[in-house]
Amino acid sequence: MRVYKLIAAIFFLIYLGLLFYLYRGLNRSEAYPNKPITIVVHSKPGSSIDLMSRKVAEVARKYCKEPLIVENHPGTQGIVAMQYVMDKKPDGYTMLGVTKSFLSTLVVNKSHVAISDFLFLANMIADPEAIITNNKSGLNTIRDVVSQANELNGKQVWIGPGTGSRDYLMALKCWDVMGIKAQWVDYKSGPQSVLAMLRNEAPVYVGNPSDILGKDDLKIVAIAARSRLESLPDVPTFKESGYDLDESMWRGFALKKGTLPQAVEYLSEVLKKVSTDPQWIEYCQGAYSFPDYLESKTFSKKIDDEMSETIDALQKAGLLNNYVKKGSILLAAMALLFGLIIFFVLWLLIGFNRSRFTYSLLLSGLFIWVSVFFYYQTLLFAIPAGLNITSPALIPRLWSILLFITSIWNLINVLKEKNQPVKRGRIKLVAEILLALLIYFIAIPEMGYFVSTPFFLLAGFYILKYRKWPVMFTYSIGFVLFSYVVFQLLLKIDLPLGALFV
Amino acid sequence: MSNENLVMEIINNLGLGFSSLMHLTPLLMIVIGVVVGIMVGVLPGLSPSIGVALMLPATFGMDAMSALVLLTAVYLSANYGGSITAIAINTPGTPGAVATTFDGFELTKQGKPMHALMTSLTASTVGGLVGAIILILFSIPLASLALSFESYEYFALGVFGMTIISSLAGDNPVKGYIASLIGLLLVTIGFDTQLPFSRFTMGIPQLADGIEFIPALIGLFALGEIFFSIENFKILKKDVSAKKAIRKNKTLPLNKLWKLRWLMLRSSVIGTLIGVIPGAGGTIATFIAYNNAKSTSKSPEEFGKGSLEGVAAPEAANNGSVGGALVPLLTLGIPGSASTAVLIGALMVHKLNPGPQLFEKEPGLVYGLFISLFFANLVMLALGLLGNKLWVRIIEAPKKLLYPIIIALSFIGSYFIQNSLFDVGICLAFGLLGWMLKRGGYPTAPVILGLILGKMIEENLRLSLVKGDLSEFVTRPWSLIILLLALVSFFLPIIKKRFNPVKK
Repeated sequence: MRVYKLIAAIFFLIYLGLLFYLYRGLNRSEAYPNKPITIVVHSKPGSSIDLMSRKVAEVARKYCKEPLIVENHPGTQGIVAMQYVMDKKPDGYTMLGVTKSFLSTLVVNKSHVAISDFLFLANMIADPEAIITNNKSGLNTIRDVVSQANELNGKQVWIGPGTGSRDYLMALKCWDVMGIKAQWVDYKSGPQSVLAMLRNEAPVYVGNPSDILGKDDLKIVAIAARSRLESLPDVPTFKESGYDLDESMWRGFALKKGTLPQAVEYLSEVLKKVSTDPQWIEYCQGAYSFPDYLESKTFSKKIDDEMSETIDALQKAGLLNNYVKKGSILLAAMALLFGLIIFFVLWLLIGFNRSRFTYSLLLSGLFIWVSVFFYYQTLLFAIPAGLNITSPALIPRLWSILLFITSIWNLINVLKEKNQPVKRGRIKLVAEILLALLIYFIAIPEMGYFVSTPFFLLAGFYILKYRKWPVMFTYSIGFVLFSYVVFQLLLKIDLPLGALFV
Repeated sequence: MSNENLVMEIINNLGLGFSSLMHLTPLLMIVIGVVVGIMVGVLPGLSPSIGVALMLPATFGMDAMSALVLLTAVYLSANYGGSITAIAINTPGTPGAVATTFDGFELTKQGKPMHALMTSLTASTVGGLVGAIILILFSIPLASLALSFESYEYFALGVFGMTIISSLAGDNPVKGYIASLIGLLLVTIGFDTQLPFSRFTMGIPQLADGIEFIPALIGLFALGEIFFSIENFKILKKDVSAKKAIRKNKTLPLNKLWKLRWLMLRSSVIGTLIGVIPGAGGTIATFIAYNNAKSTSKSPEEFGKGSLEGVAAPEAANNGSVGGALVPLLTLGIPGSASTAVLIGALMVHKLNPGPQLFEKEPGLVYGLFISLFFANLVMLALGLLGNKLWVRIIEAPKKLLYPIIIALSFIGSYFIQNSLFDVGICLAFGLLGWMLKRGGYPTAPVILGLILGKMIEENLRLSLVKGDLSEFVTRPWSLIILLLALVSFFLPIIKKRFNPVKK
């Protein structure tokens, strides 16, 4: 025990030092920039925008006093990253990587982030949309695609990731400009679409030039750009075939609106210098993209124009409906809450009499209620007509009907069972642990991980009737130190510092 | 090209690869990669793909060889590392280790964690080596297997994966079905697979992308188990007898491992083949291998009650899938799994185009990578043997201290996937669900199975419906074979039980 006392004391001193280090000078105010600048990226490492941002960060080292550090915040097609930037102070230390797909994301997801919340700094690169075919299909030019489409009379299949995605809108635009009719089949993701193309399963794929990297069988028929790509001099543009199509996936950077003017100026200058750096231009060409620097004003104008265009296109495609009948969301949420409350009240009232029978009965009742709840919600779906899709209600209905049947079957089994008493369990202990967990959960965002965790661990040990205090201190503080070393130092994952102190 | 020439070419290229690998940096990277990988696997929440993604930025400054070798070593050993916590504390460190909990944790409860850990380590190594050999010898023909899978086959594979519930279900199959349907229903929450709208979110924006899988997994297994065992005051008793049992079963007789040799080989091949199919992934492979092991075993009644076969099969399959997942990456330029998707990013950073051209232009690199897999497996074995002693000590720690720490670890694990506290809430909610199910006698594994396979089943069924011709499900050979296998594997355990009821 004496050893533990010593270790606990040492750990505690290190812990105090760590807290001091973590929370030191969080509110510095000197000339901008005086600490590393974060680039927030909305997808996982290795994605196009991630690689682009990391390249910018690398090249910017020559022009910026402080390093730029890329952080990934994937989720909900960018909403998570946008929200993350919105939650930060507008001090110019958090930059957001933006891409054209954000436009549809913002239109389709009714979130509280809006395009007007951002100050668009600069565009850096443009990936032209490309029409890709398989060599074996005999479709070598855009004319071939058009004549096959006319031959098949609306049965030609175009594939790509997602209905309502940029690629989908591009397909619609193509059909419009080329005066053809075709069918869209959604292959969900880029790689799955490319696989289908390699199998020669569909004639046309809407993607980007980099999709054919390293794949001999695939061919780009045309790119939707003003000029040919230097890295792909043989690939023609739509313009050359007489079709006026200029569509590209641009990628650039934005800040939260209201960011300090000197920061905006400084970062714009850095990005401008990066955009003319030979190393950057070489990177763009290697990625089959155009270096396409646009300064803040032109970039914002472009975004405004494209935003209204996106809304129009989605509207026309019938994708801007309310997919769920109005008012029903609230109703459904209330029904869910109501059902759960009833379940817990019943559980508290009768589930505690230690009878397995009542508990099983309650549980089967809950499952029946869940199946009805899901089925009811699918009745509220309002699906736009005229799209080549299967109903989103199909599968959930199938599962909920099956769940209903099996739950009834289970209910019958339960009713047949005799009323067997259950071993007396320590529900009180679980409830105490749950309470501690709940407090911990609420405390993390306020007090931060490093402060709240030792308290939770001490409480947990105590609840589970462990009473050797030096050991308890050693383990709880030791765990926090361990997680700092492993997560923050080795794996570079930031743990929340807490709203109260930052 | 004749066979002889092909063999000569492979041998030549292997020589080339060997000489390009034999430098200090790549070899050091293998060791670092294995250490990081095991750590990533052990920590709940860090899946292999997240681990590889976290290491990716560190490789930007390296040469291509060192970068690839490091990332593959992380990928490989993270798949092994996940089994450690699955066995020790019923918390699969990675999704691929879910099936390992079925028997691995049972063995720990019986005081034989060392047996499970040794079996898992050996099986993982065998799986990794078999995967590497298959990758070297058959990557070109296997690429056509990867290509031949259309939505019909993916759907069939998803259904086949689901059929394991009938062998997991135990005495009361209905409860197993209900649990799996709950998983299947929950996974329909979030973005629809064909329309830009989110189902069943009830206005909660964080649900728009659906329920994040890993927090759900951690909650259901780790927290559910903890709540359940706290309720049944297992932890309040002094763990003296358990400690004694652990001491007694400190080593696993090698002949017990030797008996598993054919099972390990077979499961490795299953894992590699399923790993080849892009998007199917190692997790499905583990379930299919487990199911296969149970249905061919001489003592199927031991499964779920601490069978070494039940540990060996999924682990071999899981690590076999690593070699498999590299096949479509290197031959077609298509990622076979979430981790290899990150590897594509690594290749592009070094201006290398994944795909068939890579073999022609950079044979030294490709074959160097192949050989590095052998080294990585051996390093993994060595470090694993050292590590096992440490893990057993952790298992021996008093549960009163261990449980709060596991809960805290589950919380961070759920947090850092998206830096989101909402996911921590998901973890907690699934912990409650797991506890509720467990005390009602429902198995929790089918919920996870539904969560893993639901998307694959739905996406591909609906894509097939859009394509129009449903007869393809039975006219395409692979689809028909897999669907028939699914039928057999679903009904066989039920029929078996009817005809020879095992009385205990």
